[in-house]
Amino acid sequence: MELGLDVRQVGSHAVVDVKGEIDVYTAPKLREKLVELVSEGSYDVVVNLEGVDFLDSTGLGVLVGALKRVKAHDGSLALVCTQDKILKIFKITGLTKVFPIHSSVEDATGSQS
Amino acid sequence: MTAVELELPGRSAYVGVARLVLGALGRAAGLDEDRVDDLKIAASEACANAVYRHDEVGVEAPVTVRWVEHVDRIEVQIADRGGSLDPAELQGEGEPYSRFKMSLALLRGLVDDCEIRPQEAGGMCTVLVLWRAS
Repeated sequence: MELGLDVRQVGSHAVVDVKGEIDVYTAPKLREKLVELVSEGSYDVVVNLEGVDFLDSTGLGVLVGALKRVKAHDGSLALVCTQDKILKIFKITGLTKVFPIHSSVEDATGSQS
Repeated sequence: MTAVELELPGRSAYVGVARLVLGALGRAAGLDEDRVDDLKIAASEACANAVYRHDEVGVEAPVTVRWVEHVDRIEVQIADRGGSLDPAELQGEGEPYSRFKMSLALLRGLVDDCEIRPQEAGGMCTVLVLWRAS
């Protein structure tokens, strides 16, 4: 099971396009990437979950951890997600109150397409 | 009654296997796709919790997944050989948005009934129940 992670810069934001399943097995790879971005000085991060088929509590924990890290640098972490089955996970766990969730990368980064 | 038992290595790499098998069993039992998705998430959470519990006590042991179809319900039992669970944790105490707290919310929010109980032989068993429409 592979997790695809591509990072691109959109304006002042680092955008991480995630593809595949984020679970207890693959989430450490996402954690590593997000820790690396913050340690390199990217404090405004957008995690694009449009290519994600599955997300579990370990994946959510990684996102919460990354949010704490960017906030320590007065940064931000926004998510892009329009899939009902993934949005449901954020609603059930109450994380819709914690993360700004956008419908597109353009919306999340405030850029024009 | 249809029953399937699956014994998987208690390591994170195999949680996806449990998900695939339970998804297929759910479809074979006639569950619609939304219910199959919910079941896959809940079962995956239970398996991940089992793997974490094994890691906590440094045990290398299998996780047993039992699928039982009754006339009125589907029951999935996920049993580990890890340590016991602090009842305070099950009450949802501790840091907000901790992984386990979010896992409990998903387990309780996605299936009709979820019980996490200690086993006589040690370890914990998570029982997920989906009631079938009569």
